[in-house]
Parts: sequence; C-alpha cells; structure tokens
Amino acid sequence: MIAVLAQLPIARVVRTPRTWVATGAWCALAVGMALVMRARGASHGADDVLVEACGALVLPLLAYTLVGTALGARSVAGSTTAVAAFGASPALAAAVTVGVGVAASALGGAVLAATVAIVAHGAADPPLARDALVSGYVGALGGAAYASWFALGAGFGRRGGGRLVALVIDWLLGANGGVTALLAPRAHLRNLLGGAPPMDLSQRASAVALAILVLVCALGAVGRART
Amino acid sequence: MIALEGVAARRRPLALASVSVAWGAGVHAVLGGREDGGALLLSLIAGTARPRSGRVTVLDGIPFDPGVRKRVSMVLLDPALPDALRVDETMALAAAIRGEPARPASERLGVLGIESLTTRSVRSLSLAEARAVALAEGVTSSHVRVLLVEEPFLSIDPRAMSLLSPQLRARGADGCAVVVLTASPRDAGELADDHLVLRRGAITARATTIEALSSASQAGALRIVAHDSRDARALVVALAREEDIDGVAQDGTAVVARGRDAVTLARTVGRAIVGTNLDVAEMRFDTLPGETPSPEGLK
Repeated sequence: MIAVLAQLPIARVVRTPRTWVATGAWCALAVGMALVMRARGASHGADDVLVEACGALVLPLLAYTLVGTALGARSVAGSTTAVAAFGASPALAAAVTVGVGVAASALGGAVLAATVAIVAHGAADPPLARDALVSGYVGALGGAAYASWFALGAGFGRRGGGRLVALVIDWLLGANGGVTALLAPRAHLRNLLGGAPPMDLSQRASAVALAILVLVCALGAVGRART
Repeated sequence: MIALEGVAARRRPLALASVSVAWGAGVHAVLGGREDGGALLLSLIAGTARPRSGRVTVLDGIPFDPGVRKRVSMVLLDPALPDALRVDETMALAAAIRGEPARPASERLGVLGIESLTTRSVRSLSLAEARAVALAEGVTSSHVRVLLVEEPFLSIDPRAMSLLSPQLRARGADGCAVVVLTASPRDAGELADDHLVLRRGAITARATTIEALSSASQAGALRIVAHDSRDARALVVALAREEDIDGVAQDGTAVVARGRDAVTLARTVGRAIVGTNLDVAEMRFDTLPGETPSPEGLK
C-alpha cells in the first residue's frame, strides 16, 4: 500500500517542470558560487560555500520547493484528498507523502552538498573524498530536517501557507546563536557544516537534534492530516 | 446500508440538526443544495466529516473505518483526482487502493463514453471531464457499495450525460446504495426511488414520489431547542419579526415555530438562527395536530 500511495507524490515531483526549473536554479547558484571559489583558489572554498550559500540559502529553498511539490502546493491534509477519496487512510497517505518529500530533499541535499564540496575544494579543506562524503551526509540530514520542518508548516493554513511561515521562522530563529536557535534546523546545519555552533553545541549533538527534528516535525505534519 | 440517527454536524456556515434517515439498496435523492447542508450530509456518510452528535452507520460500520471507506465513492461538484497522474494511472491507483482487480481504464471509462480521456493528464481535464472520470471510477468499481453523487447532471461531460442515469440505476438495482444530492426535482424524479427534502440543515419532507413530496412539504411546526432559555428568548424575538411565521411559542429552552409551508418555515427559522448568531442544540419538524403526514412521515 505504501508503494501505491507513493505514486502520487513521486509523480508530482518528477512530472512538475516548474520544480525542475526551481531546483535547477538553486543548484546552479550553489555550484556557480563553488566554481567562483575554485577560480579564486580559496583555501577553505568548500567550507565557505557550504556554510554561507548551501546551508544558509540553497538547501532550505531546495527543500521548500521539493516539499511543496510533493504536497501538490496544498496543505498536508489537502494533498491526500485524492487518494483518501478512493478509501486510503488519510494518515497513512500523509505519512507517505511527507516521506517522499523528506526523501527527495535528503537526496537533493546530499548530492548538492557533495557536489559543492568537490567543486569548491580548497587546499586547507579536509581530504576530498572524506569531505565529499561528510558533506553529503550533512546535506542529506539537513535536507531531511528542512523537509520535515516545512511539512509541519504545511499542516497549517487551507493551502498549506504555514510552509512559508516555517521558512521565515527558521531564518529568524536560526540567525542567532541563542537558545531559540536550537529549535530550528538552520543553526544545527550551520554547526555541522563547520560554522558557528548554537549555544556551543557539539556537532554530534546538532546531528542528533536534526534527527529529532525530522521525526518530531514529520509526526506533527501527519497528525495535522488526520480526519 | 446507510443509517443516520439524530445526527448533528457543523461546517461553517452550515449546520445539520437532528438528521435521522436510513437508506438501503437503490437510488435515493436528497433534494437540496450545498447551502442546505447537502454536501455536508454526503461528507458525513463518506467519513470526510465528523458528526457533533448522533450516529452514522455505513455498511454496518463507522464511515472512518478503512474497510468501509474503500467501499464508498463520493463525487462532489469539485472532484478530487490525483493531479499529477494520467487518467489511466488514476483508475489503476483507485483499483489498487480499493483492493479490486485492475481492469483496462478504457473499458471502465467507456461505460460513460469517455474512453478518449484514457491517456490524458488529470491536470489537463476540464471540470466536466474530471467529474465524468470520477463518476466512471465510482460507477465501475466492483468494490464500491455506496455511491454518493452531488448534482449528477451538472458540470459533466456531455458524452457521459445520457449514459449516467442508466448506470446509476443499474448500480442501485445491483445492491448498491446510490445517494444523489440535487436541487433539481426533475433530476431527482428521473433517477431516484425515494426522495427527501433537506432545507437549511433539516429534513423537511420524505416521500417515494416527487408528487407526494409536494404535499408533504405543507404545514408543520418546527421545534428548535436552544442551549439555554436566554438563547430561546432571543430566537422568539427574531422569529416574531418574520412575516412567514404564523405563530411562535417558547417552552423552556425549546421554541416552536408554526407556518403554512414547511420549506418556507425551515428557511425562515434558519435565517433567524443565523441572524441572531445562535448555536442551537436540535431542530426537528413536528406534525401539526389533525394533519396527515406524507406516506413515510415528516421528520
């Protein structure tokens, strides 16, 4: 049944040209900045692009776009109306839809972060293969956390307008290093990519925090879809 | 097959009050519109809305039961189809979810003469085409036992128009409960075996023929139960200003309004309730002494 229910959100992601244009543009921006860093011969090129561009701007917007597409630009409940009309459980359909959004964002985040790490790799960055692997893992975790965060946002508003509010909240909370920064994905992702940690948190703790955010936000989003 | 017992429900700005009805196999018409709570009534049966009180039983279970949901098909004026899929993929998806054997989509769509839509993207369908596809899915599903259709002949592909009526009747004869919500007495008369009138959230009449329904819609008394006597008093004051009300009396938290025409009475009382912004607990029709109700009685 999960494979059956996944058909619709996967088709939304794969068959929506607007999504490909948007994600392509965000990825081109990140890779373009990586190429600039490479051309300049920056010693910490990968770190700089991953923290300043990838983690702070491109990855959230990539996840925002992919989740919105998986949900069909609707609320979480609204995105499952079509399959619920055939008798599918709204909660299961919502879980599968959110899962597709999270998986797509994790995959996109991993590929993007690894690509940026390779392209912008500088002399002072960690060894290339290890850096690409770690960046890919962090990109996947960050992408999943953002996707889950936006899915929870999409649980609010008739057409899921809460997704935009979630984006703004993340930017506002994650911009500082205070206690409130612990609640949003932005500060934890910055910490994992080598930026300033929130409340002097270790990278391991930030990784755990992101994993918890993935779980809690996804469950919250599914809970919003129940009839 | 479908039973509603004292069901009250609300979906702003509409409310259903104390609705009791039982439907078995066959085609049943609900005469009324969205503003009367018709779509809300269908949503309660389909399990997409919850009652505030009372009990809804569908196929011997509750409408939210996954096993029940898979055997219910509801086609409203704005049908929900999987936007990113093609029509044939939609039919296959529906069959997989309902747990029925997959059949060629063109064969299923051909029942309503719309097989040319088979390979079209759902996004490219007009509203009329989308409704025809949704109806074809429900009508041809081997697992669907309850079919709920809002305005079957409104906004529908012309190719399906002439074929729909015999298909719905065939499903009714086949042991399905087909409930048609329509504001058109002609459509109701053409399709259904029995009819009820839904006005402003209350069933005002029920009969087996449209003609009997007309006589059943005559005089009546509407009893409205408010949450407290203060609300009841406010309602009495509001009703006393209405020209279509012949008499109004208060009995504790209950208000009894009388009029010569049940439909007008229900509409007027509904308007007064909305105007005074009251939240009533119950509303039901009482037959006036000495009057004969319709063959199956007024609710």
